[in-house]
Amino acid sequence: MTRAAAALAVLVLLALPWLVPNQFFLHLCVTVLMWTLLGAAWNLLGGFAGQVSFGHAAFFGVGAYITMLLYLQLGVAPWYGMLVGGLGGALVSLPIGLICFRLRGPYFSLSTLAVAEIVRLIVLNWEQVTNGPVGLLITTLPRVGVGPRAVDWESKTPFFYIVAVLALAAMLATYGLSRSRLGAYLLAIREDEDAAEAVGIDTVRTKVLTLALSSFFTGLAGGFYGLYFRYVDPDAVFPITLSVEMVFIAVVGGLATVVGPVIGAIFLVTTAELFRERFQAGHLIFYGLFMMVAIRYLPEGIWGGARRLISHGPARSR
Amino acid sequence: MALLEVAELTKDFGGLRAVSKLSFVVEPGEILGLIGPNGAGKTTVFNLITGFHRATGGRVILDGASVLGLKPHAVTRRGIARTFQFVKPFPKLSVRENVTLAAFMRLPARRNAEAEAERLLARVGLAAKLDGPASDLTLAEQKRLEMARALATRPRLLLLDEPMGGLNPREVDEASRLVREIRDGGVTVVLVEHVMKAIMRISDRVVVIHHGEKIGDGPPDRIARDPGVVAAYLGRRES
Repeated sequence: MTRAAAALAVLVLLALPWLVPNQFFLHLCVTVLMWTLLGAAWNLLGGFAGQVSFGHAAFFGVGAYITMLLYLQLGVAPWYGMLVGGLGGALVSLPIGLICFRLRGPYFSLSTLAVAEIVRLIVLNWEQVTNGPVGLLITTLPRVGVGPRAVDWESKTPFFYIVAVLALAAMLATYGLSRSRLGAYLLAIREDEDAAEAVGIDTVRTKVLTLALSSFFTGLAGGFYGLYFRYVDPDAVFPITLSVEMVFIAVVGGLATVVGPVIGAIFLVTTAELFRERFQAGHLIFYGLFMMVAIRYLPEGIWGGARRLISHGPARSR
Repeated sequence: MALLEVAELTKDFGGLRAVSKLSFVVEPGEILGLIGPNGAGKTTVFNLITGFHRATGGRVILDGASVLGLKPHAVTRRGIARTFQFVKPFPKLSVRENVTLAAFMRLPARRNAEAEAERLLARVGLAAKLDGPASDLTLAEQKRLEMARALATRPRLLLLDEPMGGLNPREVDEASRLVREIRDGGVTVVLVEHVMKAIMRISDRVVVIHHGEKIGDGPPDRIARDPGVVAAYLGRRES
């Protein structure tokens, strides 16, 4: 994608609340952007390095709880809390990475699933701190503003801008990674871990660092979730479905691409909204089916396939 | 002083002793052939030296410093590079990118790493294939790609695991010439090979392994006449 097209897309995005001043539409946009952030975060590790994690809900939940607790216990405003939540997610990921990356392929994936469940159970049972299954609730957000013009937290617009900035940051990180030496190392790891070691790449360290970066953005998204919905409990922020939906977005949108997560997120939110009215979990069946179709016929995802059609040749690794 | 000293190297896989108290040295500037019947433990020796397998016992010393117990990437950093018996290119990446990745270790700037990759790929005869994916290369080309990739880490010692296996006679000749050129360029070479004619022609010295033990060590012409070695390959005559 050319710079001009990217700049235009960002401008249109930032003008959306003004172009379409509809609260429900903005809510959908906020949801799409949050999932974009999550898909892009997962993509850093899963797309580039081919390490399929089924446990990213752990970092999402940790980010959400840290943000909520910092505000409720210490009065730290959630927009600062989110950053700490992201750092917390990254910190939690370090021991998890060092343990799980001893395993390769499907064994790694299964271990992440188990670790996420462990983290959920800890949060569920550590009632003195987390309030257990009751969860945490924010009633009012702190006043922000210059003079009489305060930010209206009942409107969707401020949340839209916050999550738009976060999603753009994650996409920028993806772009940066695709052009960096680290990104090249991750592709080598995806292609063949033994060969990567043989050319001097410390595969475990590279994967652990990338997991930390991925977990940082996932934790940020968790913090935003807390800020936006003002309520978290273990079922809401640690579900396996969340981890799986992150995989879905990255795979369907296009692995290791900058724009893929946006496409994946739009697809996910649209189908979820279409199906949710008719039957509660029907969208999950549809995701599963579509993921199978995508893996079979569009292994590069929607964006990867579209890019190939446009360029009429083999897609470049970036 | 020897460039590489392997002493009493031992590896057990469960109850099976794959390598048994194996000792040999590699002198700087030589081409050393490592031969032996199928299952003799040749590839295991490579995997032990390069850290892909953990040795049960023994010593591996490169230029006075032990490399045993290091992870493979750290062994590469110390100056031992390798190729694989069953080629392991990065299949979806371009030929140029395959070698650039390896050059990054010594040349962090992409521009320099790519220039080094292109130079090495020209040297192994792949200058015309830079932009295609590595999976499009023939087996002979993939083996040459692996040599270029190993050389990009600027090794002192290069371990080649069957660089001629599965190649036709013309490709074997090309590979032999390339191995000699690499040595003449200042890189010491150890190669495992089944193609006897080629290894006897290009090696300065040959080490023979059978059932994980060394049964011969010397110049190729003498090894070829050694009754113990001949027996290992052809079986002992019943009398």
